[in-house]
Amino acid sequence: MVNALGPQNLNSFSEASVSVEIETEDMTLNIGPQHPSTHGVLRLVAKVDGEKVHDVKPVLGYMHRGYEKLAEVRSYPQITTLVNRIDWVAGFSNEIPFIAGAERLMEIDVPERAKYIRLILTEMARISSHFVFNGAYALEVGALTPIFYAMEDRERVLDLIESVTGGRFHPNFNRIGGVKPAAGAGPTSKKNIQDLPAGFYRDTKVAMEKVIMAADQFQNLIGGNEVFKKRTKNVGVLTPETAEAYGVSGPILRASGVKSDLRMQTDYLPYDQFDYDIPVGENGDCYDRWDVRVKEMVESAKIVLQAIDSMPSGPLQAKVPKVIKVPQGRTYVRAENPKGEMGYYIVSDGGLGPYRLKVRTASFSNVSILPIMLEGALLPDLIAIMGSLDFVLGDVDR
Amino acid sequence: MEEFFNKIKESFTEATLEFETINIKVNSTEWIESHKKLRDKFNLKFFSWLSAIDWDNEVSVGEAPKESVSPCFEVITCLTDLANNNLVTLSTIISKSDPKIDSLVEIYAGANWHEREAYEMFGINFENHPNLEKLYLPDGYEGNPMLKSFELISREVKPWPGEVDVEGMPEESESKE
Repeated sequence: MVNALGPQNLNSFSEASVSVEIETEDMTLNIGPQHPSTHGVLRLVAKVDGEKVHDVKPVLGYMHRGYEKLAEVRSYPQITTLVNRIDWVAGFSNEIPFIAGAERLMEIDVPERAKYIRLILTEMARISSHFVFNGAYALEVGALTPIFYAMEDRERVLDLIESVTGGRFHPNFNRIGGVKPAAGAGPTSKKNIQDLPAGFYRDTKVAMEKVIMAADQFQNLIGGNEVFKKRTKNVGVLTPETAEAYGVSGPILRASGVKSDLRMQTDYLPYDQFDYDIPVGENGDCYDRWDVRVKEMVESAKIVLQAIDSMPSGPLQAKVPKVIKVPQGRTYVRAENPKGEMGYYIVSDGGLGPYRLKVRTASFSNVSILPIMLEGALLPDLIAIMGSLDFVLGDVDR
Repeated sequence: MEEFFNKIKESFTEATLEFETINIKVNSTEWIESHKKLRDKFNLKFFSWLSAIDWDNEVSVGEAPKESVSPCFEVITCLTDLANNNLVTLSTIISKSDPKIDSLVEIYAGANWHEREAYEMFGINFENHPNLEKLYLPDGYEGNPMLKSFELISREVKPWPGEVDVEGMPEESESKE
């Protein structure tokens, strides 16, 4: 080794620096739990050899609230309050599969209008979640500007959700058999109480057109940026085979080229009534994961625009018993949430609450892929890869 | 779904289709083989989740089962096929006195974390697991929180108000007026 440094072997100094192998020791690097890019409190313990990362161990549990245990001591209507808080960036979406599961066990047919309202609000939750991702991801790879645009545009969508449900993040709007009468629907008269707030359609149209514009803007502002491309293209490539074995779902799976979307494949909401595309990536790298989400925002906006045009009239609630008791049985209902497949396995014994509720969250499986994706990655890519998975710790830890 | 269920039924006679969910009950000794078969023969390559149920007549939380059950753990996995949108849940019963079952990590790499979670929450030992240690709970934590015998301390200290704080439906309050 040392001989290589001898002047007789050298043409230039730069050549010497390449041919010399420097023996370095592994260093253990602790990232988090309070790191801005961990979207909550994820801790990674990584071994670093120079700039190369290997042997990454995610440490979970800082956000573990034991929802599965808590669900065992609560009644079905009370559980929607809990599940709102699992993935707080898209609180509304978390309610859908749970409510759908309880309704399936009770064999309740939900009125069409209620289904449409659910669908519109879930898609709005998806848009707002993807706005957060867009802003935050750009920030993580070094672009400060986009988050200000993203947050401003997201606010418009959150305002709409608030005008209907009364809550920005935790709507708690679904009821078994339908939805709650809208918050802004006007005071007491029975005629008005079951309707959306005044001006909702008009405001939604404006907001959704803005969303489509914003997505276009992101394509230029972020996607057209050379630095962003260099940092994300061919970085953190995930093969579809690995993704499947680990249960990775949602935009991450689609970015790897698998055209799988539960909105089209299952019937938890009437998505078959609308015309929309499922964006799919090619390489499964960080850029594709970003790109798929931006395109999804446009598709969601299109769905919402179609839904408000074809909104059926009718009641918001099916007839349900005063005391909700779910008959004995078990079922698994899954839904396409902004972050991937979310599902609830409900085991009912005929009581007021479930005997056991298993919550399957998207981020849990999506984060379990981190050690594989980060094996041998460069240290600066660690944040780029981690951010591209778009997880929320509430969704990982439950 | 019916078509797929009939196919499953040919290989697994104990399969049931209830509430749009196919459930296959297998013996715990056939745990590994059944998963291999479902993955290779039925193309269920997507590992959705693994969890367990604690069946017990004496419970510290929630309601006890209405009909008496023999105490046991039920381990459940959920597998799906992304291309054809098929889904099955697979369940097996293991004893509570010696809760152990073979690990699925060899077949589905994604089972790793799910098994670690079931290990800490229920105390089930997954044999041949590469790294069976706690996932969420801190080191030194005693007990398995998801057991029905594990008390929910906050509920013990202060009972839940239950129905008291539940708001009536609008029609209800109007009819009273």
